[in-house]
Amino acid sequence: MKTPFRTVAVIGTLAAASIAITGCATTTETGGEPAADDISIAFVMGAESDPFFQAMKVGAEEEAAAQGVELIWQGDPANYSAETQIPIVDTVLAQQPDALVLIPTDPVALQASVDKAVAAGIVVANVDTRVEDLTDVLTFITGDNTDGGAKAADALAAKIGYEEGGSYEVVVGLTSPTATTNVGRLDGFTAQIEAEYPGIEIVDVAYSESNPEKAATNVNNWLTKYPGLDGIFAIDGTNASGAAAALEAKGLVGTIGLVGYDAYPDNVAKIEAGIFTALIAQDPAEEARLAIRTIVEFIRTGETSTPKEVVIPNVTLDANTSAADLAKYTYVAN
Amino acid sequence: MTDSSQAITVTPTPAPLERRARAIDALTSQSSLLLGVLVILIIVFTILEPKFFSVATASNILTDWGSIVLIAVGQAFVIISGGIDLSVGAVIGLSGVVAAWTMANVLGLDQSVKGQDAWGGLLVGAAVSIGVGLLVGLINAFLINVLKIVPFIATLSTMGAALGLSVVISQGAPIGSANDFALISSFSPQWNPLSPALIVVILVVTVLGLYLHKARAGLYTYAIGSNAFAARAAGINVARHLTWVYALSGALAGLAGIYVYIRLGAGSPSSGTGRELDAIAAVVIGGVSLMGGIGRLSGVVIGALILFTVQSGLIMIGVEPDWKKVVVAVLIAAAVAAQVLRKSDGRG
Repeated sequence: MKTPFRTVAVIGTLAAASIAITGCATTTETGGEPAADDISIAFVMGAESDPFFQAMKVGAEEEAAAQGVELIWQGDPANYSAETQIPIVDTVLAQQPDALVLIPTDPVALQASVDKAVAAGIVVANVDTRVEDLTDVLTFITGDNTDGGAKAADALAAKIGYEEGGSYEVVVGLTSPTATTNVGRLDGFTAQIEAEYPGIEIVDVAYSESNPEKAATNVNNWLTKYPGLDGIFAIDGTNASGAAAALEAKGLVGTIGLVGYDAYPDNVAKIEAGIFTALIAQDPAEEARLAIRTIVEFIRTGETSTPKEVVIPNVTLDANTSAADLAKYTYVAN
Repeated sequence: MTDSSQAITVTPTPAPLERRARAIDALTSQSSLLLGVLVILIIVFTILEPKFFSVATASNILTDWGSIVLIAVGQAFVIISGGIDLSVGAVIGLSGVVAAWTMANVLGLDQSVKGQDAWGGLLVGAAVSIGVGLLVGLINAFLINVLKIVPFIATLSTMGAALGLSVVISQGAPIGSANDFALISSFSPQWNPLSPALIVVILVVTVLGLYLHKARAGLYTYAIGSNAFAARAAGINVARHLTWVYALSGALAGLAGIYVYIRLGAGSPSSGTGRELDAIAAVVIGGVSLMGGIGRLSGVVIGALILFTVQSGLIMIGVEPDWKKVVVAVLIAAAVAAQVLRKSDGRG
């Protein structure tokens, strides 16, 4: 009578153990070789689970290895929030690195952490997002989300075959009303449409709450409500995945323009298939490389040629993009 | 109260009073109330947006309903048995990711493989997905039965582990595998408003409904949820039955995982985010008592349908999406209030 139950118990224990082991393997994220001049750079990013930061990690590790410095890579596994990031920054500062590259999850909440690091003589750089007061920050390197939104408007208008006097309907799939990247991209998209394509009307927006299935649901309902829909701007990777799936399921690939954001490998493959008109990609690896190069230069020579604020433009990936460029901008993880 | 004409008539049919009581019972039963709510919602949304009343909308609602009704039915078994399973949303993500990973890296089905050549692989993927869910369910049962951890905490920890693992395996990005139009077209318009995947879901739910309400082993679920001590005294192997209940909930989440995979054409770690709350909402709206021992699957099925009717309706009429949460909250409160009222009325 007990036998099947014991079998179950044994399987359960083994599985729990394997989860524990796999879990442990990913909690310590350090990389790079011990350094010639013992420079150590702490890199605290937003959320490990985001492919954007996975790609950033690849760039950071490459540059740290090339420069022969130690890289301490840290960040919350899944939550992009100040509450989880502040204790991580504190822990990292206790290790007394020479420099801190910080992706602040909140411009105000993380200001104190930056001040604390600077007071301890640690060189600080911001990447992607910034703290409010950049006075003591060596450099702030970011992608241009507003410009990316404008590029998305251009790509969508081209696909629609925009003509003066025409009237067109587009929708925008967002993740949340407050995510700063969403806001920047939507602002850029809206401004460009108002300036260049007045015949295009943004008829609706909806939120996916970071769930691709909900993103697909939004698009499904739009397709019913707006039978003459011309285009969709999917503002991040999650919305892009969901919108692509919805168009495929309804057999509307190619007839409705779809411009996505973020070069997830799975989505890049769908450019060739004609599912995406275009993908707007950032270059997180380059942002990380430049941050580390700048810091090492500053520590070794006492000055740097990198400006105080650097904006790395977003790029449009479409059917005309070369295979080499597609590979370069795809968010790859190790 | 007395009806003289009835007092002297002897008929084989039920007396009108009894018949009336039965009619009132049927009209006020949870399922009829829910169907009434559903019809009212459909009428209101149609008045506000005529395009709402269409086969396309029905298809949208049913497609969304397919994944959630699976985990809601699993959740109903668990809640009727007196427990709760918070891990099901995370399991949708994990099982879909592991299935996609297996299909892409073990079977070598990348995006260049045509759908019609991938059905065998998809079946393997489905087995893997259900297997992953089953495993998490068995771990839940182990934590609850052997380590005596309360279900809320036990399934909260497996939820965290499943979420973390799905991110580790997928590195946060969706894993694509064989998926072209032929494969995804299981949702294609010619099946409107159903799809082959939905028909599988309906079959599974029907079989489980018959099992829960007709089979003796299904009725154990109610006995344990009403009073586990008495159930044990009556000779029911409580631990074994709870193991089966959590394993079922896990396996159904795994099935939902492959359903979402087919829908998205990729295994995504965030594809189940927050879905455990949708499942619990469907169960509670459906009239299942969170105290255990009470509830019917028909109510849960309609409860899930109401959730997605509200969602589609609000998108169609262009209301801020956050209102969906408010509407669902009101529905939950109303459903629980109805339960309490019916109970005090002696017709619980």
